[in-house]
Amino acid sequence: MDPALCQLLMLRLRGGLRQRLFQMASLRGLLFSLAFGVIIWFLIASNSSPGTSFFGSAALDRQAFSEQIITFMPLSMFGLSLLTVLMTTGPTFHFSPNEINFLFTGPFHRRDLIVYKFAAYVAGVTLSSAFITLLVQQQAGSALSIFIATLLTLVFVQLNSAVISMAGNALDGSRFARIRWPAIALLCAIAAAAMLYAWVLHDHGVIDLLAEFRHSVIGTIVLIPYIVFAELFVAPSFADLALWAIVALLINAALLRAAIVLDARTTDRSLAENARLSNRWERIKQGGSFWATERTKVRSIHRAPILGGFGPIVSRQALNALRNSSKLVMVFVGLAACIAPISSALAMPVTEAQTLLLIYIFIAFILPRNMVCDFRGDLSRMEIYKTLPIAPWRICAGQLVVQTLLAYFITLIIIASALVFEERVTPQVALTLAAFALPLTFLIHTVENTVHLLFPTKLVAMGRADFEFLGRSIVEFIAKTTFIFAAMAASIAVGLVMLRMLGTTLVLPGLVSWLTLTVIGLLTLVALQYAFRRFAVAETID
Amino acid sequence: MITVTNFSKQYKGFTAVNNLSFSVEPGQILGLLGPNGAGKTTTLRTLCGIIPPSSGQLLVAGHDVVQAPIEAKKNLGYIPDDPRLFDTMTVWEHLAFTAAAYKLVEFEKDAEALLASFELTHKRNTLVHDLSRGMRQKVAIACAFLHDPKVLLFDEPLTGLDPQGIRGIQQAIRDRARAGAAIIISSHLLSLFENLCTHIMVLNLGECRRFGTMEDLLSEVAHTDSTSALEEVYFSITQAPDQTSETAAA
Repeated sequence: MDPALCQLLMLRLRGGLRQRLFQMASLRGLLFSLAFGVIIWFLIASNSSPGTSFFGSAALDRQAFSEQIITFMPLSMFGLSLLTVLMTTGPTFHFSPNEINFLFTGPFHRRDLIVYKFAAYVAGVTLSSAFITLLVQQQAGSALSIFIATLLTLVFVQLNSAVISMAGNALDGSRFARIRWPAIALLCAIAAAAMLYAWVLHDHGVIDLLAEFRHSVIGTIVLIPYIVFAELFVAPSFADLALWAIVALLINAALLRAAIVLDARTTDRSLAENARLSNRWERIKQGGSFWATERTKVRSIHRAPILGGFGPIVSRQALNALRNSSKLVMVFVGLAACIAPISSALAMPVTEAQTLLLIYIFIAFILPRNMVCDFRGDLSRMEIYKTLPIAPWRICAGQLVVQTLLAYFITLIIIASALVFEERVTPQVALTLAAFALPLTFLIHTVENTVHLLFPTKLVAMGRADFEFLGRSIVEFIAKTTFIFAAMAASIAVGLVMLRMLGTTLVLPGLVSWLTLTVIGLLTLVALQYAFRRFAVAETID
Repeated sequence: MITVTNFSKQYKGFTAVNNLSFSVEPGQILGLLGPNGAGKTTTLRTLCGIIPPSSGQLLVAGHDVVQAPIEAKKNLGYIPDDPRLFDTMTVWEHLAFTAAAYKLVEFEKDAEALLASFELTHKRNTLVHDLSRGMRQKVAIACAFLHDPKVLLFDEPLTGLDPQGIRGIQQAIRDRARAGAAIIISSHLLSLFENLCTHIMVLNLGECRRFGTMEDLLSEVAHTDSTSALEEVYFSITQAPDQTSETAAA
């Protein structure tokens, strides 16, 4: 690599560290970073105690765990590769606009630029690998082996996706490109046939079929490159680890070489992809998650309903959801539908506390963080909202409608899948859950927006080591969860008091409980209105 | 110094630039003029090696930008319309990296002089993230000037600058041309061309509509009191859709 590019890497690394130190210099930055550190320490400490690990008792059976890795890791990685082929534009080497302006016009060979980007990526995944090693070391054995295996695998995943995407771009327009969709259709047909076969044979599940394919001769040949990385994770000795690490390094080197060769044939596509990703990143910084900023062309309605000013706000967020988040919503619907069957397959039914906690994290943390169709994505447009001749409560309520309804719809999918796959979830239970899910979803998103308007901040981390952002996210989640659990407890308490007073039927106490939760949600809307009025447009968001 | 021969650039089914030919000699300042989507930025980005040409030959200081890109780029400075810099690096670190990229051994004196000329000396250790847009534009120009290139390409160089900054940049461009650099400026500011350019090329829909010296162009239209002569030229060319590139001088 050109020495100037090495110098640039060092300067950028130094700049990143300097930025983190500046963050720590402020009281808020220091507190959030410390909070992040304490939580991570707690996770590591709890992982090291028997019986409290993430992986449960199954992880402690090292032999069984290794077999699972050897069987399913290559299959998962192969699935990821197929997904990259399907999606056409996967992650290649993304050059930011400043890199294009400075480096593309500078006296650098193109291969040096690819190696520079690769080196920057390796620096980033080294940090990620160290972090993963800290978290799973107690379950997985030697820290060194986990670090090396994670690092080489993450590098492979990136290079593999890049090479597949670049090859797809290079073949675009050729006769090979024409067989892409028939090949995908054939693969889908094979997958459907396998599922049908598994369904007909009651003693054979899809998982069993996949395991059999993995250990067959054809499966081993198809999955050879991926098996190497699985072997890295389960290497029983240092000599084995060294051997598999060398093979993995050779595979990564070959992929890097392929990326350099293919890059020369895909410059126009690569530039277009760089521009697309850069524009998307700008939109993310303005407000939105990475996944909710893919623009889709959707026809608009000619005129939005007025409804006292409430209509245009709802209409604007509905269009936002359709144009930016439609694919994301579909992904979340798919995930929601899979929760109950997967938890049943893993012998962790949705009625268990551990699974319920995971579902809560999905609904209250993952979903709001990724699907942004409310105030949080509109902070750069707040001056427009402030100047609208519409009552603040209508603006606030209008902002929440689409977000709440989408989240509620996804929650309903979870409930429906639980009804189908979980025997203990009866129709009555499902109906009750569906009724309570609406005010609860409304409450979650009202609290989310109120906190965001009171303490506005960026929605995405600025780099891997943005500990302030990570700490703040966790602290915020704990605070919101405390409030939501308190609201739920109050609602349940009122219901229990009514049950004790009436004694016979569950309907009336349930209704009172539901009303209590709804009233708390509406009171939170008043708090959101206060936060909206108080929001200072001129304040910068750091 | 800059020679472009039969340059064309096509994107999927769309011709951004069609059969463009021109040359810029040392000391000349060529203004690229045209409406949005005329092909100005594509021409500049191809000349500086960001995007590859579909056909034609582009020479910078005698080096083909496709066949000998490194040699061509060693003689080239590019200032884009949006001064994107590395946010976590300081002003001085940008200059230090530029010096390393162009293998400049003793750059400190020249870098200090550039900082002084752009009134950035007091900002040398400031992160570029904390600078105004105009200041970042000045940093980008200082970096482009540091290796004393024979060819300078400016894409909307005055965007975001205050009047003092505009005067400073205009003077810097004049000085570079006087020192023998061949310069191309793309802009929508007709007054900038009137102040600086020796030659003008009017592009429309990827084709050259008119190319010549500033004097030749201005002598072709009647000058009225209400509009500038160049503005007259511009509208007479770009609002005449049937006009072909036959009038263009290669």
